[in-house]
Amino acid sequence: MSHSARHAEALGARLPPLLVTAERVAATVAQGVHGRRRVGQGDSFWQYRPFLPGDAVNRIDWRQSARSDRAFVRETEWEAAQTVALWRDGGETMRWKKAGPVEKAERAELLLLALAALLLRGGERVRLIGTEGRPVSGLDRLASLLGQMNDPGGVPPEAPLPRHAQVVLIGDFLAPLETIQAAVGRLAAIPTRGHLLQVLDPAEALLPYEGRVRFEGVRREAATLISRVESVRDAYAARLAAQQDGLQAICRAAGWGFSVHRTDHPAEAALLGLYMALAPQVGRR
Amino acid sequence: MMFASPWVLFALAALPLLWWLLRVTPPSPRIERFPAIRLLFGLVAQAETPARTPWWLLALRCLAAGLVILGLARPVLDAGAQLPGSGAVLLVIDDGWAAARDWPRRMLAANTALDRAERTGRPVALLATAAAETATPPRATAAMPAADLRPLVEALRPKPWNPDRAAAATAAAASTASSVVAISDGLTGGPAWTPYATALAALGPVEELRGEDIPARLLLPPKSEADGLVVRVAQAPQPLDGEAAIRAVSADGRTLARMVLKIPAGTGAAEGPMKLPPELRNRLARLVLDGPATAAGVVLLDERWRRRPVGLIAGDATTAATPLTGQLFYLRRALEPFTELREAEIPALLAREISVIVLADRVVPDGPERDMLADWVAKGGLLIRFAGPRTAEHPDTLLPVKMLDGDRQLGGAMSWSQPAGLAAFQPGTPFAGLAVPEEVRVTRQVLAAPALRLTEATWARLADGTPLVTQATRGAGRVVLFHVTANADWSDLPLSGLFVDMLRRLVDLANGVSGSEDASAERLAPVETLDGFGQPGAPPGAAMALTNAELTAAIAGPRSPPGTYGPETARRVLNLANHMAAPEAAPPIPGASQTPLGGVPPERALAPWLLAAALALLAIDLLISLRLRGLLRPAAAMLALALLTNPAAAQSLQLSAESNPARATRLAYMNTGDPQVDDIVRAGLTGLSDYVNRRTAAYLADPAAVTPGQDDLSLYPLIYWAITPDADSLPPAAVAALNLFMANGGIILIDTRNGGSGAGFADGAEAALERAGRGLAIPVLAQLTQAHVLARSFYLLGEFPGRFAGDPVWVQRDQDRSNDSVSPVIIGGHDWASAWAVDAQGRNPYATIPGGARQRVLAYRFGVNIVMYALTGNYKGDQVHVPALLQRLGE
Repeated sequence: MSHSARHAEALGARLPPLLVTAERVAATVAQGVHGRRRVGQGDSFWQYRPFLPGDAVNRIDWRQSARSDRAFVRETEWEAAQTVALWRDGGETMRWKKAGPVEKAERAELLLLALAALLLRGGERVRLIGTEGRPVSGLDRLASLLGQMNDPGGVPPEAPLPRHAQVVLIGDFLAPLETIQAAVGRLAAIPTRGHLLQVLDPAEALLPYEGRVRFEGVRREAATLISRVESVRDAYAARLAAQQDGLQAICRAAGWGFSVHRTDHPAEAALLGLYMALAPQVGRR
Repeated sequence: MMFASPWVLFALAALPLLWWLLRVTPPSPRIERFPAIRLLFGLVAQAETPARTPWWLLALRCLAAGLVILGLARPVLDAGAQLPGSGAVLLVIDDGWAAARDWPRRMLAANTALDRAERTGRPVALLATAAAETATPPRATAAMPAADLRPLVEALRPKPWNPDRAAAATAAAASTASSVVAISDGLTGGPAWTPYATALAALGPVEELRGEDIPARLLLPPKSEADGLVVRVAQAPQPLDGEAAIRAVSADGRTLARMVLKIPAGTGAAEGPMKLPPELRNRLARLVLDGPATAAGVVLLDERWRRRPVGLIAGDATTAATPLTGQLFYLRRALEPFTELREAEIPALLAREISVIVLADRVVPDGPERDMLADWVAKGGLLIRFAGPRTAEHPDTLLPVKMLDGDRQLGGAMSWSQPAGLAAFQPGTPFAGLAVPEEVRVTRQVLAAPALRLTEATWARLADGTPLVTQATRGAGRVVLFHVTANADWSDLPLSGLFVDMLRRLVDLANGVSGSEDASAERLAPVETLDGFGQPGAPPGAAMALTNAELTAAIAGPRSPPGTYGPETARRVLNLANHMAAPEAAPPIPGASQTPLGGVPPERALAPWLLAAALALLAIDLLISLRLRGLLRPAAAMLALALLTNPAAAQSLQLSAESNPARATRLAYMNTGDPQVDDIVRAGLTGLSDYVNRRTAAYLADPAAVTPGQDDLSLYPLIYWAITPDADSLPPAAVAALNLFMANGGIILIDTRNGGSGAGFADGAEAALERAGRGLAIPVLAQLTQAHVLARSFYLLGEFPGRFAGDPVWVQRDQDRSNDSVSPVIIGGHDWASAWAVDAQGRNPYATIPGGARQRVLAYRFGVNIVMYALTGNYKGDQVHVPALLQRLGE
């Protein structure tokens, strides 16, 4: 098991398995372990009911029927598994740290894997946006897929997701709001529900530089010389707040959740936030 | 302080300009990569204050620039003193024997004088006051620029003879210099001092530099005494008490003994006895004064100082010692002052090294004894025989000439003849030159049978021509026969002083000095001569071959440098102190300004240091600039700085781990408080550890010094305790620690360093042992025998010598099963540490007594056995059961 997977598992082990609410589950949803308290397709026994004309003969439970004069049909509980699609920004802007203990990408991967561990323990189907193929059921496989994932970063790529899937996006979301809105809108139109977590380095949140600094983009795309950084700190904070407000608005419009995490804060707090966002809320149903 | 190029200092005026330039140029910005750069685009700092280089960085840079300017101006520190006068300078350097004691200081002073002359552009002439090795008298060089003179000064070396003041005075008078710097050795060096000083003073102002703090000492040739040498040191009287340590050194450079002479204040000479066992005395090659190496501190010794043991055997042992009439009575009195006497039977005498045997009317009949004696003579022994009634009756074969039967009586009641006197000694015999006293009369003698070569075989004869002393060479040795008795029965000879002189000449003969001392006209070529520092080397070109007589009368000089002369068999030495007048402090040169040598610090050029400091500042500036631009991590910078400034820091951790005594097995020794003894013991244990590491599978680290009660003794298997004669009793805590150490299986090796052949080396050590050992739980002791495990724990040993041999070694008598039957203490007096000791060159600095490589090997083997015993206990002791086990198996 890879190091990050092990770390994530340890992190997730402190929370109970996560059962994602699957609302409005359609027949297209793959079968899973969520007992729907209704008769349906599944493996768990639900009830016996008397044989009715029209039932297929091969559905008669002969053992039960032999106990009496009547024939019984065995019915199983309708179970459904929810698909949760995860994505983290693996771009160059994420591979950076200044004031925080770890790179943003590392923290994002940790959170993603921890969340996946919780989901897998809950029996959910987890898949990664940006990789081909089927949902995965093992944390190891997920970690190795994560390693192979080739992501230019910025916004999640288009992906054929099942309807009513849950989506969790983790990244720094410093791209222009329009591109983010387009991406979220695309996902929300499937339709999906989801959550967007912005991971920031403390240096990005606070701009702790002083004096004459020439800032260069991580991708060396452009540069700007600021003669006294401390004098623009407030303006920067306002711009960052505007970006976060924009993200919040985008999410609200799509019916998604939004939260911010700084890498110098404990990962557990962010994981708990995600857990709360995904878990079935008491009283909401 | 002064500047050699002061005009460079004008550049300092440009510093404010530099400050202003640096100030208006903004520092280059730091470069930061930043993901959220998009949010920063278009942001403009509201209060655009001009970015400035921090003031302290400006100050740093200006300081560096200032240092560079100062350095280029070439400042010189301590250049306050000026040369006296003006014009050409005469630099007078005493390079006689007395200058060697602080020669580097004198060279430094000479260089300082040259530096000053160079700075002021004055020409310098050099006058070295001692005659050169080529025997040319002192001459002043022409005045020349100081830089040209420097190689000549560098090439000066102290000479092992007195400065030639008279010639130096002539040279100074001929000089054209107008001022003088004299680096004086502080001694008159002969009667010509006054004209010399006057000649110097006449030239112009004089600055005289003297080193008074180290007295110039002269080691005089020792006087031979019965039980050792009387060592003499001379110096110019000093106002304070002084001490001179003198070492006796063997030919292979090992120290045989060391003594300290106190020289009271105000006296010019001191002497003291140096006791040496005869065996050591024969190996003595030179005496060396501790301290700065000088030719005056070395006295070479040749055969004349050696002692050869002389064996005495009387024909009638019972009456031999009777006063005035005994056969050995006069012999003893004559030989005792300058030889070591032994009295025993022939086999016992020959068992030890002996060079002369005197038989007083003792007949040696044919048999094993006679063969032994003949063998010994053939190998180089000198057999001196005295006639007497027994010899006259039974002449044996160990006589130089054939005897007539019976004896001859002169001047008796039945004889017309008068008792005969002695004839003058013939030149070419060993007795040549001895005065013949008139009163000696010979009344009775044995007669040699007339033979062809009787004249050649005769060394002394009576007035009537009858041989009195005859001799014959046998192999490498010689047999000498006195035709009279050794007591006053047959002649007056033993009563006269001549007897003593004759015996002395004969014993000298045994030393290899052939022929008479002064008569030989053979010239002895110099073989090895001393340089001014007392180091032996090839003789200089001017050294001449000298006869014995010339050597005796010679004063050290370029024609007769101190050193050894002559062939291997007849070595003679010439010492620096030979016929040298006692050193006498020189009065100051009239009108000279006096400066103590070394009192003025030599001038130092500061330029390299200033430039280096500027470079360091610029390097720091570079680091700071990089840091300000974000190109340097502080931790890496600190590490690099630390490694640059202190490369040894990385090793310090390892070193401290290495010194942890628990990390390796090592031997320990007690701190005795006597640094000399501690050094010997540490060197000894180091040597033993090396030996053990080479010869066995055990690995011992460097030995450690311990103080019981303070150090943890449980880490050491063996503690070596050398008892010094002034050792005091141990504090109770130390006694308790040692007792615990012994109870837990540790071994203490106690060495009184005066046992067996070393008796007398450390007088009072027994009493000190009793004092120091009080309170220690020493078990009942028994003599260490060959059956003990200690004699077989690694090597099979029959004896246990160290530097000394012959004394028993004591170990625990009873077997203590609880302690694996290991004796907690080993007590002896063989000074094992000295035998094991190895100096920095890997040699054994302390001679073994009685000597020989075998004794040292045995000492090392005993050491290995002790270490094995300490490390493995008595497991080798089980071997004693092997015969019993084998026997049982056989049954």
